[in-house]
Order: sequence, then C-alpha cells, then structure tokens
Amino acid sequence: MSALRVGAPFRIPSWSEVVGQPRMKLALLLAAVDPTIGGVLIRGERGTAKSTLARALAGILPKRRAVLGCPYSCDPQDSRLCPECEARVNAGEQLAVLEIATKVVELPLGASEDRVVGSLDLEAAVREGRRVFQPGLLAEANGQVLYVDEVNLLDHHLVDVLLDAAAMGVNVVEREGISMHHPARFVLIGTMNPEEGELRPQLLDRFGLCVDVEGLRDAAQRVLVMEKNHPDHARDPDQDIALAADLTKARELLGTVRVPPAVVRTAAAIAVDQQVIGHRADLVLYRAARARRALRLAQDGAATDPDVSLQDLLEVSDLVLVHRRRSLGSGGIPTQAGEAQAPQEGAEGSPSTASPADDAAEAGDGATGDQEDGPPTEGATSSAGQDQEGGMSSGSPGPGSPAEVEVADATPAGRIQLPRERLRRHGSGRRSQTASRDRRGRYVGATVVEKTTDLALDATLRAAAPHQLSRSSPEADRDRLAIRLERRDLRQKIRQRRIGNLIVFLVDASASMDAEQRMDATRSAILALLKDAYVRRDRVAMISFSGRAARTVLRPTASVDLAERQLSRLAVGGTTPLTQGLVASLDLIRSERMRDPEVLPLLVLISDGRGNISMRGEEPLVEAQQAAAAVRREQIRALVIDSARDHLSPPGQPQPSTAANGPRFAGYAFNACADLAERMGGQYFGLFDVSEQGILRPVAEALRRSS
Amino acid sequence: MSGEGAWAASATIIRMSEYRQVYPFTALVGQDRMRLALELNAVNPAIGGVLIRGEKGTAKSTAVRALARLLPELKVVRGCHYSCDPDSDHLCQDCRGRLEKGEERLPWEMRRMRVVELPINASEDRVVGSIDLEAAIKSGERRFEPGVLAEANRQILYVDEVNLLDDHIVDVLLDAAAMGVNVVEREGISVWHPARFILVGTMNPEEGDLRPQLLDRFGLCVDVRGITDVRERVEIVLRREQFEDDPEAFMAAFSEREESERERIQRAISGLDAVEVAREVLEGIARLAIALEVDGHRADLVARKAAQALSALEGRTRAGVAEVAAVAPMVMAHRIRSQPGQRPHDVAEVAGRILGEA
Repeated sequence: MSALRVGAPFRIPSWSEVVGQPRMKLALLLAAVDPTIGGVLIRGERGTAKSTLARALAGILPKRRAVLGCPYSCDPQDSRLCPECEARVNAGEQLAVLEIATKVVELPLGASEDRVVGSLDLEAAVREGRRVFQPGLLAEANGQVLYVDEVNLLDHHLVDVLLDAAAMGVNVVEREGISMHHPARFVLIGTMNPEEGELRPQLLDRFGLCVDVEGLRDAAQRVLVMEKNHPDHARDPDQDIALAADLTKARELLGTVRVPPAVVRTAAAIAVDQQVIGHRADLVLYRAARARRALRLAQDGAATDPDVSLQDLLEVSDLVLVHRRRSLGSGGIPTQAGEAQAPQEGAEGSPSTASPADDAAEAGDGATGDQEDGPPTEGATSSAGQDQEGGMSSGSPGPGSPAEVEVADATPAGRIQLPRERLRRHGSGRRSQTASRDRRGRYVGATVVEKTTDLALDATLRAAAPHQLSRSSPEADRDRLAIRLERRDLRQKIRQRRIGNLIVFLVDASASMDAEQRMDATRSAILALLKDAYVRRDRVAMISFSGRAARTVLRPTASVDLAERQLSRLAVGGTTPLTQGLVASLDLIRSERMRDPEVLPLLVLISDGRGNISMRGEEPLVEAQQAAAAVRREQIRALVIDSARDHLSPPGQPQPSTAANGPRFAGYAFNACADLAERMGGQYFGLFDVSEQGILRPVAEALRRSS
Repeated sequence: MSGEGAWAASATIIRMSEYRQVYPFTALVGQDRMRLALELNAVNPAIGGVLIRGEKGTAKSTAVRALARLLPELKVVRGCHYSCDPDSDHLCQDCRGRLEKGEERLPWEMRRMRVVELPINASEDRVVGSIDLEAAIKSGERRFEPGVLAEANRQILYVDEVNLLDDHIVDVLLDAAAMGVNVVEREGISVWHPARFILVGTMNPEEGDLRPQLLDRFGLCVDVRGITDVRERVEIVLRREQFEDDPEAFMAAFSEREESERERIQRAISGLDAVEVAREVLEGIARLAIALEVDGHRADLVARKAAQALSALEGRTRAGVAEVAAVAPMVMAHRIRSQPGQRPHDVAEVAGRILGEA
C-alpha cells in the first residue's frame, strides 16, 4: 500500500509565481524599500492571494544587519538600541554584527498578550528564582515584517498593544514585576476580508499604504494561476533573486532621490482635496513617491533622473489615500457592511451628493491640470505602461502612446471624482463584547477571585514564582515538586467572547388598512438587518399574530436565504391577539436564553396596540399590560413601533402613561402603544411612513445604545 | 495498532476498535454527491475538505464517520505527536530536533488516517494546545501540551454543526487552515507545529450561515436533502434496523463491498499523479469561474484537483470537461457571492453552457 502524500500538494508559491495583482505587489515593494512608510493593509475578497503574497515577501526582502546574539536583533546603526546593547556600547564594547535574513513574523489571532509584549520567564523564575524577561513577538518583530492575517478580527487588547508599539517604535513592558523597554520597529502588514467586518479607524490610519484586491477576470491569467499552483510546476528562483537584488539597490538609492518642491506641493494639494484625516497622508505620500522613484531607478535601466516625477506621485497616491478618505465607501470594493450601514445612517439628514460631486469633479480637473504642468519624463510614462501589463518584474517598457491613454485612467485624477459623502460611521460594526462567565471565549487576562474555577496556570505560576525561595521546605523537597502554590497565588482566567443580538420582531398581522404594507416593511427591514448581521453575528426572529393565535414565522436565524424563503408569503387578516403574541415572544426569548444565557435579546413590537382577543378570560388590554410587565421583569430590551395612523398624541416621544387616569381607556383616546412601551421599559416610536427605514432606524438606534 | 498510546488520552478520535459501531459507508442509500465529495477528498486531500449542508437526519454525520474506514494508510514517524510524514520536509519541531541531533532516519510505521472530531464547545486551549500543567508544577518546566489541531495533522478534522462554532475558535481554525501550521503564542508558550488537515464540516443552514472566509476554506460544498423516493426511504429504514439489531452481521454483509471500495480509493490515489488536465480544460474552468463571478481563485484550483481526482476514481488518465462539469456545482456554488433578492446562478446550467462551447 502506498503512503499518501499530504505534504507535497500544499505548497506556498513564491513571489514571482503570484500572477497579476500589480498594485498589491507595488505596495509591498514600496514598504520594503522604505520601512518608514508604515506598512501595508491588503483588503479583498477571499482567495485572491492576499496572504500568499504577504508571506512570499520574506523570500525577496533584503538582508539586514543585526547585533550578534541580541534577542531584539538591534541594528547597530540604529539610534535606538535595546538596553543590553546600549549598556555594551556604553561600556566601550565593539558589537559583533552579522547579516541576517529579514523575516516575516506572524502574529496569530489567538495570541495572548503576554506572548505579544513579552513577560516574566516562567522557567527561570520557578527553577532559578531569577526575574528574567522572556521577549515576545514584538521583540522578534523588531526590524522585521510583522504580519497579521485577518487583522480586522484581532482582539481589541492586542490592537491596542500593537498601536502603542507601532506609534513609538518601542515596546514598553510594565507587568509582573518587570519594567523594561526595547525597540520594536517593524513593517506592519495586514490582510483582511471586509465581508468579516471593518477595521478600527485608528489602526487603519497606522497602515501607510492600502490596496483593495480583486480576483483576476481574465481567463488566460486564471489558467496561469492554476498552472503555477500545480505541484509539478517547476519553480524559477531566478526571478525572486533578481527582485531581491533590485530591492537592495533601491534601498541604497533611496538616499539619492530628490523630491522637487512642486511634487511636495502637489502631494499636499491632493491630501487637502481628498479630505484626508490628519497629516500622516502628506508624509506617507512624500515617502511613497520617493520609494517609487528609487525602485524605478533600480529596476529600469532607462530611468536615471533622481528627481521624483509627478508620475511617481500619482502612481502611489491611490495606495496612500484609499483608506484615508473621509467618505464611507472609501473606494474600492463595496463591502456588505458598508451597504448595510449606509441606509441606517443616511436617515440622519441625508447628504446631497450632487454638489460635492461637482466639487470633486472640479478638483479632479485641477489635479489633471497639475499633471500637465509638471513635465512627465520619458521614464515615467514607460514604466507606467509596464505597470499596466501587470508585473513589476515583467521588464520591457510598454509602447508609448497607448500606455499614455491608459495612464490617464489609472491615475488618481480619475479617482478624485468620487462623490464625497460625509456620512457618520456608527460603532464600526463591532459586535457586543462581554466578559464571559462560563469558560467559553478567548483567554485575555487573569485576575484574583474568591473561588477559582478556571485556573490561569501561567499567571498563577508567575504569581507564585517570586515567593519560592521563602517557601522551600523539607516537605516540598520530599514531594519533588518544583513549585509550591498557595491559595493566594491562584489566578482566574478572564475570557472574552463575542455575542450577538437576538432581535425578535413581533408583528401585528390583523386586518387593517395597511396590514400588508406593514408586513412588507417588516420583511424588508429584517432582510436589511440580516445583511448587516452577516457581519455582526446577530440573529433575527419573527412572530406574527392574527386571528386567535401567534405564529413563529421565522425561528431565530442569521441566514438571509432562510429569512427570504420563510418571509416570502405572510398572511394577514383577522383579529388582534396581542397578548398571545407577547407571550409567544417571551417563550421564544426564554428558550433562547436557556441555550445561551448571554444572548442579548431585543423585542420589537410593531402594532397599533389594540389587542382584542383574550387569552385567559381577562380584558385583552389588561392581559397585554401584564405581559408587557413581564418583558420588563425579565430585563428584555424592547421597543414599540406604533403602526396606527390615527393616534391622537404626537409620535416620536415617550408618552406619559394615562393608564393611571382610569382602569379602562376611554375609547381609543389613549395611546395604547406608548403605554405598553412604558410598561416594557422600552422606547416608543410612532410610525408615520410604514417603511423599511421607519423600522430600521429605531432598531439600529436601540442596538447602538445598548452596545 | 502501535503508537496508539500517544493518543489514548484523547476521546475525540475514532479508533479501529470503535469502527465496529460505525455504519458502513457502502451501506448508505442515495446521497451520491455527498459520498462522491468525501471520496474525492480521500483521494486527494489537497482538495481542501468538504462542507455538507442539509436538514437534520440526512446521514451527514454518519457518512463522515463511515468514511474513516475507507481512508488510506499513512506513513508516520513513530512516537510523533503530530503524525509527521518522515518523507516530507514539513516536520514538527520535535522531529527536526531528532534529525539535527544526528538520528539518521526517523523510525516510522503505517497508520490509518483518522477522523478527528472537534466538538463545538471545545475551549480554545484544547483546540490549539496549552501549557502542560503537570510539567509546570512538578518540574517547573514550560512544556506544550498538544491540542486537537495537533491530533488533526494529516487527518480529517470533522466539525459537526460547524456554523455554531464560536467565533474565536473559527479564527484559530482559519489561521491553521491557511498556513498548514498551528502557531501557539499564549500562556508563556511559543511553539508551532504542522496542522494540515482535511476540514470536513456539517451544518444545518437553518441555524445560521457560515462566515464567508470559513466557507471558502472548504474545497467542496454539497447540499443534501431528504430522499423523496419511497423505495429508497424504505430501504434506509430497513438497513438501519438491521444494523441496530445486529451490527456485526450487518458489517459482515457489507465487508466485501467496503473492501472493494477501499481498494478503489487506493487505486485512485496511486493513479492520481498520472491524470492529465489539458490546457483547454483549464481554460474551461477559468471561463466558468468568470461567468459565475466566483470570489477569488480558490475555485479554479480546487476544480482542477477535484476533476483530476474524479478521473482517477473512474480509472482514467485524462480529466476532461465532463469531469469538470460533474464537480463544478460542488466547487463553485458556495463561492458565488450571494446577493439577497437576486437569484443565484445555476451552476449546473452555466457549466453546461460554458463547457459545452469548449
């Protein structure tokens, strides 16, 4: 029987084997030429070689100099050395230096904070009673590339640590009795699929460059991808070696590149025009354009002009600006999240898109004008043509005139014409996070509790380590235990878990003038919510009531498909068994809470509030009020959307309860919905236009308020 | 089976001894696509696993567990926690260490590929591995205790109700699946080990969708439905009855079929490398992917491998458009971006049209 090869078929392609994707390649190369540009974020749909290329970068990075034996691989020429190297230099020692390969250090999503920033060395503490710092990933990443796959899913506390280090270039450790700092300067590379959620704006801005990638749409290129991925495909290392040499050369040339004042001015003008946030964009534009020129000088024999051309600037400006524009869509691939958020936000004073678009068009003209003013050099045009052909390494410059036409399309002059919508972002689509109590969730830290149920072993041992000398005793030696623990050493794990909302729509399906419209509006609101829930992991359920009973139309689900199917036909007509509906929702929420005690329910009642079918033989209104009180008792978030058009009180504001005025409401002069809302401890909304927006807006607001 | 000791502690592995309790693969009635998808993965693990979507009671889990018995034997380093392949250079740190210390040739043995189950309530430390409590307390050593991902290296990793898996576990799975390596940076431990597994998941779509990124990691995806043919339904009930009454007799009755199926898969594995895919066929795949507007390129790569494996199973040395058309729905359907309110492409229909031109 032959053995199965599992090893061979999985192979990681080298840089040159990645087909197409010239923008992504350019961005990574620029960041490699000048690490001060500040890293690259690659956004795009699944399966577009994002992570492949990021990892392949290791194969072409130039070597770097490092102090022999230094755990932080200090560069001896660096102004900031680690405390050890500094002490050695101060002592007059000559540091031994060697050339090392630049690595791509990966930060896995599941990493714990102690391993990222470093912590007390457990072994040394326990066995030798010494307080030794065990360097973490940030130490390992110093002078290297730090790569985070699915960077948008990185835990908040790790993002904070990363931001701190990236901002200062230093990792400061103050924990477990350790106080130290070491250089942590790295090129940050992140990849993400926007379908899975957005990146925190602050982290987004940290990335010098950003590219949106898409799959190739050309059959021949796709065939090439398949051929190059086949195990039998022979690898050609020469291309990578040549590219690595180009990179080294470009780095050397970087110092000789000059940036003419006109280019600096244009960079600033572009930044202003694009309404970028802060000043980082100007600086990055400057550096990226300089790196582009250096790369061109290194790769293209025909290019000899050390001055950054306007072409260089325009080629990189999209990479610098795409994620810094103030607009919501930020260009590139529209994300599901973006689409779903827009309608919710658009409601707040809808922005007129016409006039900003005109402004942008004018600005676009201006930029094009600049382009004509600045003399585009021979080299600029030809290598832009090369870019169009889809490869930095493809060599031969494109023919003159057709390339020029292409260039006009590819430059940001075209991009500037995007409408500038100023839409406010809401909570960046993040899910609710809670500290988890039931041993589920990611281990994020440790704490002291009265009764330890979920032992954080590493933290416990670190807590016990300093006391080992004083605790040593003959019994301990007899037990041959290396460490003696006492109750006060015990540490409990703090776990964090993302949990979603459960939105239960309780919809009145009784016969009335606008019953069908109401159902349609609810249906489209549910689908819109689910499109957003796709990112947020929320679930939606729907219960309708009419005739004599309530009916669960949609079990709690996060599936758009299922919701679409189940909600395709909604029956309306009959009387209004409101209490039955409320009780059915309560049952549903209770059973969901049994399954997961941490679920966050939100009950949305859409009705005129005029129940007329008794459930237990009491007055229908009183029964409904009792059920509403139960909602409050069980701490279920609730909101009531009043679908009656003829109510007398002004809508949109919580109403003072008039129930106290009498046991029975006088006709319908009393706002039944507002009364229910108050009894539920929820919000009341009048629904003037029975529309998707009229439902979505309050729901989105309720979710936002509670998260 | 020797080397069993290393795994004795874990309850998540289906062992040979338990095979007696497992319903035979060849006794399954209907559900041809699901069975084919599983077999294709057994022939070529590089296809990247399969996601089986369907209602309750459609033999999803039964089929996956039954597959274990048809799986080929693997050459593994004896005593290695990660079932390293002695002939590959993708070795764990321990095996590397042994080679560096001067062991010329790592001792090996043949072991049947297993189905390792990942329970959905598994904690993160059990999945990725954690610090060894005993070693830490007894000797103050910082030692790594491997988790489910270690067990799953070169095996099938099976997740029932995969859509209900906690988010952070999914993240970890994605990381490992993308790199073929499990990187552990937690609790003071910094290790990595190979974690290349065939990801098999089952789910009931009514409970919610799968995250797109995870969905894409499954090479193939099949939707199963309850069988509507009355005769087949009766047959299912009868067979199940017989199996529950007397499993051993039932197994014996199917042992010949099981053996011949196992041989067929084994032959396909041996013949896989010889199967050629012509350039026109690759072009057909590419055009199909473009017409269906699938995300990214993984669909193309998987389509080629799946068509190849299908030809190998059928004993042919050439994969043509017919094979591509046969596997296309499994490969492409779950990679088409779904637009609510819009009817998705009918993969079979588009495949017929596009490949018919080729």
